[in-house]
Amino acid sequence: MAGPPLLEIAALTVQRDRRRLLTDVSLNVPPGSAHLLVGPNGAGKSTLFAAVLGLIEFSGRIRFHWRASGRIGYLPQSFVVDRTLPLTVGEFLALSRQRRPVCVGIGRAQRRCTAALLASVGLAGFERRPLGALSGGEQQRVLLANAIDPVPELLLLDEPASGLDDTAVRQFEQVLVELKRAHGTGVLMVSHDLGQVRRLADQVTLLDRSVRRSGTPAAVLAGDLAASLAGGVEYAT
Amino acid sequence: MTDLYTWLAALADRGTLPDIFRYAFFIRGLLSVLLLAPLLGGMSHLVVARRLSFFSAALGQAALTGLTIGLVVLGEPLNAAYGGIFGFCFLSALAMVYVRRHASLPSDTLVGVFLSMTLGLGICLLVAVTKRFNIHQVEAVMFGSLLTVTDTDLAILLGIGIVIAVVFAWVYNQLLLDSLDRSLARVSGVPSAFLDYLFVMLLTAAIVVSLKVIGALLVEAMVVVPAAAARNLARTTRSYLSLSIATAFVAGVGGLFISSRLLVPSGGAVVLAMSALFFVTLALGGVRTLLSRDAEG
Repeated sequence: MAGPPLLEIAALTVQRDRRRLLTDVSLNVPPGSAHLLVGPNGAGKSTLFAAVLGLIEFSGRIRFHWRASGRIGYLPQSFVVDRTLPLTVGEFLALSRQRRPVCVGIGRAQRRCTAALLASVGLAGFERRPLGALSGGEQQRVLLANAIDPVPELLLLDEPASGLDDTAVRQFEQVLVELKRAHGTGVLMVSHDLGQVRRLADQVTLLDRSVRRSGTPAAVLAGDLAASLAGGVEYAT
Repeated sequence: MTDLYTWLAALADRGTLPDIFRYAFFIRGLLSVLLLAPLLGGMSHLVVARRLSFFSAALGQAALTGLTIGLVVLGEPLNAAYGGIFGFCFLSALAMVYVRRHASLPSDTLVGVFLSMTLGLGICLLVAVTKRFNIHQVEAVMFGSLLTVTDTDLAILLGIGIVIAVVFAWVYNQLLLDSLDRSLARVSGVPSAFLDYLFVMLLTAAIVVSLKVIGALLVEAMVVVPAAAARNLARTTRSYLSLSIATAFVAGVGGLFISSRLLVPSGGAVVLAMSALFFVTLALGGVRTLLSRDAEG
């Protein structure tokens, strides 16, 4: 791969209350490729994302080598929204896309953009639905729609397929492949579905507070993955 | 302003308006409520979204301490002491946000510590102050009194209201996104820390200018109950904001009339009217849910 990677993480260490959450983690995400993280619960995958987003303190180096927009798309692992919050899906998507306060209305151009965006994740006609009343899978798709528009140069996805049915997972994977191919988006993604890891990953890192294995999917997923991790973990294959 | 008061008094003399409009203090109170309703009602849904209800209560208590400091340092009359309230409330708000952002303890625990500390200090100073100054000045800030509202207060209220409206029009979407999820806001380029400080500064200003009408003990209700009442009925952010302002407006005007008729503190009357509206909207929301279930069934 010519040129530096889109995201370069070197010797990343995160410590909280004298406890090391991540130790000496290094990985790269080149443009137009998907780097998937696997590991048990508590392995530090979400902590890694928080460090990349600049939400927590860390030692080591995180560098972005932008070639275009420098936009990061992000889908968090958990998104808790009050069931009674009076906020529609359309308003939520307009929050980061229009200058005018959403409390005075959504512009026509934004409404068209929202409709197209929701259709692309299989939620056509959901604009006026309250965000808090959606199912977990539907909320996940709204967050995916939020992450992929405008087209990101780097996409961070923390367990994006959790709560999605098979059709939605296939749709999501198609969107991801298209982003990589057509726009050169680099993807860093957490997944517990080893089948999905094999389908999508160009590189895989097995993380358990530090890097246990890293390389191509075939190399990292060879052998008994669960047994190689402290405490073990259930994986969908 | 005098012309306005004279004109309204003449209308009251002719029977066009209720008798109470003969009194300039009532008209000033009414004008302040007309300004406070969109200000506090409009801010209330963001206060709830940013989980600052308890924080607002702590600011109200800090105002009492600020008043006693103001009386000691700046002396009477009450308007001079307002410098103490503004200063102490701003310092307390900044300190609370700073500690909240840097400590690992839950936010309500930290706010509780600040509330206790400022209240303890306020009570100690109050005992010293009441020996030297008129206790009614303290009562006016604690419970709200229309008699103390001046034309200058109205001008300050209008000025601060305009500043807050302009700033909110500029950062409203960012504030709401940051309230929903800080990490999503971060990737959208929202300056979370700046907004945190900015919002509490604006909230502090809004709370301090409303103390004369609402009172320090009840000002929390004014920034929480409108949003709670609106939430029972609203389905969109637009209706959430409109209903919050409408609740504050109706309760403000209604409470003012109750206060002048029954000679009770204006703050208490406004908050009681607001609480009544909360239960009305709660009932209406319940009826609407039942009707929609029937329609689906």
